[in-house]
Amino acid sequence: MLVADEFFLVAHGDARGKAKLNSAATGLGLAGCLLSELVLGGHITVVGGDVSVVNTRPPADALAHTVLDQLVGEAQHRSVRIWLSFLAQSAATSVGERLSRAGVLRRQESRRLLRSKVSYAPVDPNAAAWPATRLRVLLERSDPPPTLADAVLLGLIAAAGLSREVLWSVGPRAEHRFTELVASLPPPLKELATQTEAAVGAAVLRGSL
Amino acid sequence: MPSTATIEKPSNVSEALARGRLGVPSVVFFVLSAAAPLTVVAGVVTTGYGVIGVLGIPLAFLMVAALLALFSVGYVTMARRLANAGAFYSYISRGLGRPAGVGAAWVALLAYNALQVGLYGTIGAAAEPVLDRLFGVSVQWWLVALGAWAIVAVLGLLRVDINGKVLAVLLLAEIAVVLVFDLAQLGNPAGGQVSFAAFAPDNLFVPGLGAVLVLAILGFVGFESAVVFSEESKDPRRTVKVATYLSIAIIAGLYALSSWSMTVAVGPDQISEQAGEQSVALIFNLAAEHLGDTVVTIGQVLFLTSVVAAMISFHNTTARYAFALGRERVLPAAFGRTSPSSGAPRTASLAQSALGLVVILLYAINGWDPIVQLFFWCGTSGSFGVLLLIATTSVAVIAYFARDGREESLWRRAVAPGLAAVALLGVFTLAVLNFADLLGVPADHTLRWGVPIAYLVAALLGVVWGLVLRSNRPGIYARIGLGAESAAATIRAETPNLPAAPERAEARR
Repeated sequence: MLVADEFFLVAHGDARGKAKLNSAATGLGLAGCLLSELVLGGHITVVGGDVSVVNTRPPADALAHTVLDQLVGEAQHRSVRIWLSFLAQSAATSVGERLSRAGVLRRQESRRLLRSKVSYAPVDPNAAAWPATRLRVLLERSDPPPTLADAVLLGLIAAAGLSREVLWSVGPRAEHRFTELVASLPPPLKELATQTEAAVGAAVLRGSL
Repeated sequence: MPSTATIEKPSNVSEALARGRLGVPSVVFFVLSAAAPLTVVAGVVTTGYGVIGVLGIPLAFLMVAALLALFSVGYVTMARRLANAGAFYSYISRGLGRPAGVGAAWVALLAYNALQVGLYGTIGAAAEPVLDRLFGVSVQWWLVALGAWAIVAVLGLLRVDINGKVLAVLLLAEIAVVLVFDLAQLGNPAGGQVSFAAFAPDNLFVPGLGAVLVLAILGFVGFESAVVFSEESKDPRRTVKVATYLSIAIIAGLYALSSWSMTVAVGPDQISEQAGEQSVALIFNLAAEHLGDTVVTIGQVLFLTSVVAAMISFHNTTARYAFALGRERVLPAAFGRTSPSSGAPRTASLAQSALGLVVILLYAINGWDPIVQLFFWCGTSGSFGVLLLIATTSVAVIAYFARDGREESLWRRAVAPGLAAVALLGVFTLAVLNFADLLGVPADHTLRWGVPIAYLVAALLGVVWGLVLRSNRPGIYARIGLGAESAAATIRAETPNLPAAPERAEARR
């Protein structure tokens, strides 16, 4: 499962797929995840607050492909913060759709008064709850060792203010491990996480959550 | 960033991000909604006439407006280059050094908390006529205050900022009511003669001048917040600047007119005595004489909503201040955490609410007067703190541009900030000298020096804490003043001039 998919499931971690995280932080967190997928795939890198494309070889995933095309097509915008804001606008929908295509979620339209609202409900609640459980297990045991993707996912979960979802009921050692994993992220991914954290904080200060 | 794009090509990214951008009216509405006009006119101005006893309040509003406009020239220019531009202490850290910034942050916490807590003192008086009409009951002020406190505490945690549209409607209604009251007062002058005495310099430049100026500044608190929207505005160079000046002008016009019309209706020689006796009921009693009962009721209801809106607004401002400091780790990191589901700065909000509760209970148990001793004292003390912050910021702006500001015009980087700094430091000195007048207490009262010393202590402790951080926790020291942006700063610490928010850099292309 890709980074953004797991983030989505952690952020909507109950049986009915109800959001546990406010929409602004969800959008920014998912945007960070989408960029991190491209960093992990070696397509882009993040240095000094800017995103740069290093390899235009098409990613396997359709959504990652779209994001990469956007980054290539609008090379005049390089700032990570611009891309986080831009991707945040549509990230919840695009990742929700990706999970629907994969058969993990089911798209639901509900009509309330005049507006129709789209939400995504898990097809199998256990499968949807798995990522959060998996991360908790990862933090509590040393085997299997966490991958880079796991570490960046944890970093972005912390940046979006969602740590509680993976940290509840774990011991102080797991918390320590969490902090250590995030702190030892390689520079581009670490910067992505801190930029996401700054973007979420700025949204709180503007009162635009 | 170098400007490389020579051909304008349509950009989905720019368009998508531009869609939610704010124009001048939205920003002005945001600033004014924190101003709560009826709270100031019915509460602050009347109590001010009663306590300070100086006639020149209307002229003071105009003078302070001119001064703040002058200050804003440099302030807005510097805001464009700054992360966390909504908070004075960020300017002070960048201009005068980080230890001074922490000192300013401590002062700001004290001042904004005082402003918020003070409002609990007036809610009882604001609710009294409304409760009387609705239920025919009279309730102890502190019961009402506790009710309002609970509402503010819950809304602060749920992060239900009152909907912008609701706030805009309330604001417009408040302004309309204030103007109707003003017209009725001007149409019925005391002794049949409209007196302009309140605008005469002779009636302002008296002992107590400093007190009146601090009172006037209280009406403008919130003008500094327009810069928060630099990144979200349609035209970063223009929108925020215009919105700041426009807000100052609107506030000045409205408050000068209203405070003047009161003196016309009551009579310049009577205003101090009448305001002292009738307190916050003054303008409603005046309206009752000349306008129908309906208008008075509408006014009283709006006064109540105005105070509640101001409480929520100041609660959120204070909580965000603590949140920004928590993100910097200048306050414990817990203050920088949010509630996941609502995004509210939870710890910061709870701490502010706890303080509010303690103060309400303290006043209730001791039987202290809620209007003068809580609302007015805390309000003016908070305003005094804000004045200290503005004055220090004006010096910080000069220092900042002296090092790094050659591309700005001489007027913006030196002349206007210089004039503003001299004037603001003058006002601050007067305020310290007149502090007893401001509170309406004898010169040997504990608070006469107690409040200024409290600020001094807060500032000094902050500076010391800043110095401790410099030697013991350089990582945290580097983040001071950056607010939410401090998360990204650890990466960029090697670049000496941290670029301001990146969107501004893009916008300049």
